Amino acid sequence: MKCTEFEQLSLLYIYDELASGERADFEAHLGVCATCRAGLEKVQRLHRALQECPEPAPDLLARCRLMLDDALDREQLGWRAMLRAWFGSPGPLRASRAAALAALVVTGFVLGWTLRPRASSLQPVTSAAPASSFDLGNDRIRNISQVAQDPHSGGVRITLDAERRITMEGSLDDPRIREVLVNAVKSYDNPGIRRDTLDVLRAKPEDPSIREALMFALHDGNPGVRLAALNTVNHMECWHDTHEALLKVVEKDPNVGVRTTAIDALVEHLEEEGADEAVMTALEKLASADPNPYVRMRCLAALRKLQGSR
Amino acid sequence: MDGACLELAGKAVTTEQAEGEFERSLIRRAQRGDRAAFDALVRRYDREVLRMALRIVQSPEEAQDLYQEAFLKVYRSIGRFRLEAKFSTWLYRVVMNVCLDHLRRQKARNEASMPEGDDGGSDGVHSIPEDRPVLNPERALQAREIGSRLQAALGRLSPRERLVFEMKHYQGMKLREIGEMCGTSEEAAKNSLFRALQKLRTDLHDLV
Repeated sequence: MKCTEFEQLSLLYIYDELASGERADFEAHLGVCATCRAGLEKVQRLHRALQECPEPAPDLLARCRLMLDDALDREQLGWRAMLRAWFGSPGPLRASRAAALAALVVTGFVLGWTLRPRASSLQPVTSAAPASSFDLGNDRIRNISQVAQDPHSGGVRITLDAERRITMEGSLDDPRIREVLVNAVKSYDNPGIRRDTLDVLRAKPEDPSIREALMFALHDGNPGVRLAALNTVNHMECWHDTHEALLKVVEKDPNVGVRTTAIDALVEHLEEEGADEAVMTALEKLASADPNPYVRMRCLAALRKLQGSR
Repeated sequence: MDGACLELAGKAVTTEQAEGEFERSLIRRAQRGDRAAFDALVRRYDREVLRMALRIVQSPEEAQDLYQEAFLKVYRSIGRFRLEAKFSTWLYRVVMNVCLDHLRRQKARNEASMPEGDDGGSDGVHSIPEDRPVLNPERALQAREIGSRLQAALGRLSPRERLVFEMKHYQGMKLREIGEMCGTSEEAAKNSLFRALQKLRTDLHDLV
């Protein structure tokens, strides 16, 4: 292999596109050519840098999800509408179609039926509504726990769990909306949803329940959620406990990115409101003794900025 | 957590196996019409799908349309998906095909007749806020500058170069496969990739 062929071959090498013989020649050349070795390292650094990419904006992702949700509802509705139209036909035709559908359902679940432990007798129907008046409507089937056939009537009974998707619309002035959002921040298991919820709650930080949720989120298990909470707290009017909350984050958060954002937030607050000796003392201590060098550097820079503005 | 062993029904399984089994159960349920299962599948991958679309078309509005088109295609054809295959690979192929069709339609409408490296689709760069928190802000500290520079650099590639780069760099497809998908030769795909990487190296030289 010649050095002049290096550029193209190095890209193919990085992307695993070289045939095994070519790869062996390339690696043998690397063993003896320091220039090409250095060149390959540059290509590898570029390759690694190209792995980075910005995240889609949460509002864009949220919009995409809402639109897809609507589109999928329309897909499903189309099918349901067809089914209802099918059953909408009169008299004997409807009865024969109902029988055909019942037979299909039984056929489709006959394996599950044979594998399940058989009940000694059919339980009487306990639901208030007669079985023939079920309407799935907006409900979605989650789980089918039993299929049984009445040997006398030939009817089919299906026991299933259904979940209903609810869409709530309103403003943060609506206490029900606020309640759902505050619960989402505190207990929903998806950190992306918790973060997105904080972005919504930021519009009404003066509400006590929202403020409490924001403070709670400063200790969330996910650093992205903590950062979102911090950014909201940072832009709010200062409460008596804001400095204390921010300082706690600077001192104790396990994530360096969150800690440095809290340092910036403290600096912004203090530049507007004037000195807070407790904060200055804490920053001095961190500037000299924090185990993380980047945090020490940022605390030092913060102190210089605050002292310069006095 | 990777490689952690769990006891599952008396059998020792790794976390990856448990994850794989959970995903297969979601797919099976989705194939039977369980919407909640399909929604859960979407949520596992949709952020990456949107990232892919944004990298290729650079416009949030177009990316939104491609996102929806791709997932609707998946929804309509999930019944044909074979469980032995890897779902993410199949999904990303669908996304690539949707993006490819989109670029072909654009070209046919003469909207993509732009000089090399300038597609006028730079909206995506500006409307992706650079300071949005990601779920790992520590890494975001270092990645922020690189990410926004990369997005700007990708904006200077032609649509074909972006697509080939996406397929090769992010999706790991072989050049021969990329050529087949794009309706060209492996050699043409390779040349598009080289041009893309040369431009990216020029734009990002100070970061490496």
